[in-house]
Amino acid sequence: MENPSYNTDIVRSFVTWSLVWGLVAVLVGVIVSFQMINPDLNFGPYLTFGRLRPIHTNAGIYGWGVGTIFATFLYMVQRLCKQPLWSDKLAKFQLWFFNATIIASAVTLLLGYTTSKEYHEMEWPIDIMVVILWVVFAVNIIMTIINRKEEQMYISLWYMMAALIGVAILYLVNAAAVPASLFKSYSAYAGTNDANVHWWFGHNAVAMALTAPPLAMFYYFLPKSTGVPIYSHRLSIIAFWSLIFMYLWTGAHHLLWTPVPDWVQTLAMAFSIMLIAPSWGSVINGYLSMNGQWHQMKENYLVKFLILGITFYGLQTLQGPMQSIRSFSAFIHYTDWVPAHIHMGTMGWVSMISYACIYYLVTRISGRDLYSVPLANLHFWLALVGQLLWTVPLWVAGVLQAGMWNAMNEDGSLTYTFMETMVEMYPFWWARGIAGVIFMIGVLIFIYNIYMTVRKKESAPSTATAEGRA
Amino acid sequence: MDWASILYLGITFGLFVIFALIVVRTYSRKRKDENEVAKFRMLDDD
Repeated sequence: MENPSYNTDIVRSFVTWSLVWGLVAVLVGVIVSFQMINPDLNFGPYLTFGRLRPIHTNAGIYGWGVGTIFATFLYMVQRLCKQPLWSDKLAKFQLWFFNATIIASAVTLLLGYTTSKEYHEMEWPIDIMVVILWVVFAVNIIMTIINRKEEQMYISLWYMMAALIGVAILYLVNAAAVPASLFKSYSAYAGTNDANVHWWFGHNAVAMALTAPPLAMFYYFLPKSTGVPIYSHRLSIIAFWSLIFMYLWTGAHHLLWTPVPDWVQTLAMAFSIMLIAPSWGSVINGYLSMNGQWHQMKENYLVKFLILGITFYGLQTLQGPMQSIRSFSAFIHYTDWVPAHIHMGTMGWVSMISYACIYYLVTRISGRDLYSVPLANLHFWLALVGQLLWTVPLWVAGVLQAGMWNAMNEDGSLTYTFMETMVEMYPFWWARGIAGVIFMIGVLIFIYNIYMTVRKKESAPSTATAEGRA
Repeated sequence: MDWASILYLGITFGLFVIFALIVVRTYSRKRKDENEVAKFRMLDDD
């Protein structure tokens, strides 16, 4: 079949901007982690923990995460459909509107405009920008899929479509609000309904933005990197549909022991446990795809990122359901265990997969060998050590915190004051801050390697290097 | 049981049936090759 002319410029631009926002997210994350150790590092009113923390999360999810989704989806859809993008102009508009939305979000959050809904802090005018951005993206991808030259859809396309539709529904429903002024609105829902809708959004944003897209990327870039197909396409299809059928019921596990009806909590708990099956369907498919190829874990830096990424996905999807059980949730909820869980997902799963994809894309698009494979390997170890040093101490901290909060004297009074439990956290928070610095050094090396790759003299990449081996 | 509950149960059952049909279709012996062919396309050059 004749090779159609694919749009790679837009992919390159999204890679660039996702790197920029990814660095911002990590840098602000490091700053807020040290603000928790030393409150004097809060410089009011703009640079306080309360204003910087949502910038860290939003830059991470929407700037780095979604920016990488835009880059990889626009790359994958053209190749999986053997069809150029439906509209290059729309993609270009999407790029600029994406950056405008991220900047508007950051500025308004710094100024203190917030809905106070976690992961959906931006006020209504920016909500409208997000909706326009997503519709433009979705239309372009879906129209390309409709016009595809390949009849059968590879599994990545299914995950991509789920993400496009899922995010749209979640965001629109949770964003329903009554504006009171230009930067103040009130939720369309009240009381527990508001909380229930919000966590239906919150947890499924994890599903549709931070699970389905990285799985689409994993299924595409693993065979591209190893040079062998995935173990079973049929297993991937079943895992996909069971994930889609189950995920949307689980949001209320964030609201265990709250006034939300018991049956809603139980339903969420049950579906969360069931979700282990489809999640591990993908993990096992990934591992079995490595049959006879495990030597590549030593030789191929892309495979290291991808396989460690899917491993952390597997661990994440065991820990998450465990946390959704009422008795366990009662113990660890509101402790530092929870941010550790989230960061294993973001630093271990989503970022590891995204790093592999970007390394692959940059060498392919630029037509050059990677500047330094040893630096890529160093980046891998810094990302791994940084993530583990972040999460493991915070799990220990969470258990310690929960134990101290629950400790009682014989007369029924609390053994420890809240301040005493806070003081015990300092060593763990230091470990987190240092881990963040290690992780950030890895990101800086990653960006340096990418920069040096694209600026060096033109040279056709060897097949081995383009696939991650060198 | 009120109408809302019946509707809720019906939708849940309907979703389960759809899922079961997807599993049966995907793992049908007749379609085994057809359902696996897509993965080999990944070996094509980008």
